[in-house]
Amino acid sequence: MGLWRNLSLSLRVPLLVVVLMVSVGIIASQQVLAQLDRHQAARIRELARLHVEALSVALGPHVLRNDIWEVYDTLKRAAGASDGRRTVFSAVANENGKVLTATEPRRAPVDSPISALSAGAQLPGELSISSTAPRVRLLAPLVYQGREVGQILTELDISDLVAERNATRRFLLLGNALATGFLALVGYLATRRMLMPITRLVTWMRNTEGAPRPIPDEQVPAGDSELAQLVQTYNDMVCAIEAKTDAERRLAERERFVSLGRLSSSLAHEINNPLGGLLNAADTIQQYADRPEVVRQSSELITRGLKHLRDVAKATLDQNRLDRSGAPLSPDDFDDLHLLIGPEVSRRMQALDWQITAGAATLAAFASAPVRQIVLNLLLNATEAAGRNGRLGLNVAVGDGHLCLCISDSGPGLSEAACERLLGTGHTQPGGGVGLRLVHDLVTRLKGRIRLDRRDAMTWIRIDLPIPEQPEAGAC
Amino acid sequence: MVFRSRTSDRTHPTAHSSQGNDRLADAPKARLARIEHEKLLGYHRLHAWTVPDMTMTRRALLGAGALAASCGIWPARAARPFRLGLTPVFLDNDAAVIERLRVALAGALGTAVEMEQRRTYKEVTEMLLEGALDAAWLCGYPYLQHRDALSLVAVPVWNGKPLYRSYLIVGAGDDAGSLADLKGDVHAFSDPDSNSGYLVTASDLAMKGLRAEEFFGRTIFTYGHRNVVRAVSSGLVRSGSVDGYVWEALARMEPALTAGTRVISRSEWLGFPPVCARSDRIGDKDVARFQKAVLNFGASAAGRAALDLLQLDGMTRATPALFDGIARRMQILNSLR
Repeated sequence: MGLWRNLSLSLRVPLLVVVLMVSVGIIASQQVLAQLDRHQAARIRELARLHVEALSVALGPHVLRNDIWEVYDTLKRAAGASDGRRTVFSAVANENGKVLTATEPRRAPVDSPISALSAGAQLPGELSISSTAPRVRLLAPLVYQGREVGQILTELDISDLVAERNATRRFLLLGNALATGFLALVGYLATRRMLMPITRLVTWMRNTEGAPRPIPDEQVPAGDSELAQLVQTYNDMVCAIEAKTDAERRLAERERFVSLGRLSSSLAHEINNPLGGLLNAADTIQQYADRPEVVRQSSELITRGLKHLRDVAKATLDQNRLDRSGAPLSPDDFDDLHLLIGPEVSRRMQALDWQITAGAATLAAFASAPVRQIVLNLLLNATEAAGRNGRLGLNVAVGDGHLCLCISDSGPGLSEAACERLLGTGHTQPGGGVGLRLVHDLVTRLKGRIRLDRRDAMTWIRIDLPIPEQPEAGAC
Repeated sequence: MVFRSRTSDRTHPTAHSSQGNDRLADAPKARLARIEHEKLLGYHRLHAWTVPDMTMTRRALLGAGALAASCGIWPARAARPFRLGLTPVFLDNDAAVIERLRVALAGALGTAVEMEQRRTYKEVTEMLLEGALDAAWLCGYPYLQHRDALSLVAVPVWNGKPLYRSYLIVGAGDDAGSLADLKGDVHAFSDPDSNSGYLVTASDLAMKGLRAEEFFGRTIFTYGHRNVVRAVSSGLVRSGSVDGYVWEALARMEPALTAGTRVISRSEWLGFPPVCARSDRIGDKDVARFQKAVLNFGASAAGRAALDLLQLDGMTRATPALFDGIARRMQILNSLR
């Protein structure tokens, strides 16, 4: 059954056609043979009936008089005159069951019991033909002038009928086998030819190499058949998928910019705050240029402020770098995320629980961009959900062959629509952000799993990403 | 009913009593009269036109005449063929032999010959006695049974003598050595009126005080010597009584048939089955011409060919004394009855 299931449709359908044709051939052969059996049985029964009736007429008076010689002579003449020596043996008994005579007297001596010969004998009306026995034996009452005066035992040679039936059986089976084989072959080839577009379609679908491609028009089956419609539908689907992919890409870009927009105010505040101090330090240096100690302290202040601005600029640049798909994930990415989310957390006066226990080697197995995007989106959602003075956290660990990302917040929990965007696979309702759906799609692409939990007045979103290589030991 | 003789060219035996045929006893006369009467009444349809002239009451005569006329069976006498009856004393089943014999006889007689065959000796004998036949090839036993009414025309000569024997036969593989070994088994006779096919074996048993139907477990009559050989050869019966001449002839013509049998005893030489005619007609022109023809049968090529087919040497005259052996056996058998 497993082998059958593993067969391609282009093989299964033709083979099914072959099986059906062979079945039809077998059933047809059985029907013909059964009809032949019935015909031959009826023929033999009729022959036996006529034989017994003729003998009854001829032998009746002689049996009545116990005239052994006349019975014998009549039997011999009847046997000699029988067509093709159908009757090979006959014995006649009187009404007491004693043999009067037989065509082979030594086999059935005079006055011997007819019962010694009648084992396995059938009544003429119920005569049936065995598939192998060349002779049938029948025992019939000998009725003369309406009175049963004796019995007739007859052996009929039906070897010709048996041979005819066997020959017919062989011919029929051979003929049916050849015809069925030929038709099955034709059916197989025709069905395979009819299913060629499906095979081609499957090949095209299998050879998508990451992106399905439409089947060229010259390979689309001619006409308006179902297969042509199927290929056309496939091409339409490919076009739709391409359009959807473009749309998703555009949405992702937009989401990134949305995220950046949300960050921009915090970043501006983060940059603006040290700028005042830096300007004061610069004024101090200009004003107290002759005082080295003040200059040194001010320059150190300027240096720290500039370093902070450099880090903020770097994190922002990294987040917006267009070509970073090839960069592996590292602990620095999480430092960047911490730096990026820090202003938002500070602005809302929230408590952030930040734990990165996964090792660099494990993180390096993943691409940086999708993971950063996932975590950043979820952290931004968490800060918004947690509200002022809320709590949120990030825990990155390794467990059971997976990289475990746990984002928690003290917010009221996700709405039903938000849950659908994060966890569902169906079409999203219009409205709402695309951040959660982007998380869903990115996790799906990484063959990961999202779990949503609500406990201790906290919302927990856990994402397990399978580690492509040997994972590091650790605990979630 | 009283029958009275009437002068005619086909006279009743009673009519010949005045012509010196005084061998006819009263009993045969009464039987012949009864047969004639039954035939007139339509009981015997065979050869009904051969009504012998008889003297009878006027009413009976008128009645018979009216019946015959109404049936259209009163033919002209001029073209009447010679009618010869045949019993199974010889190869009566061979149509070619009978036809050759008929043609030869017709040539010798110069007139048509009809060969009449019946199943039993009794039927042929009665046809001869009632005048339905001009002559018949009978057996010595029925000839002697009706010796007072029948006369010898000729006797075939076989192997130089007008004699033959009865054979007691068994199957080729049977180890019986004598008649005594066959006690309790099935035996085939040819005909109850056959000398070789019944009388010899029955009289052999009678000499020992035994009856055939009691000695054998079962007896059957095959009404033909060839049939006796067939019955023994096929195993239908264990033994059979058969005409030695027929068995020897079959041994040459159908050796495969006799090869299935074995002769375990042969009787003494007895008179060969004779050709007989009614005594009252022995002097008739037709019968006399027939007698002359058969006695000279070997003279013509056709007759010689027929005799060769019958494996006979010829025909000869004989006296009733030729059948004394059969007569003795009849006495033995009758003594037991």
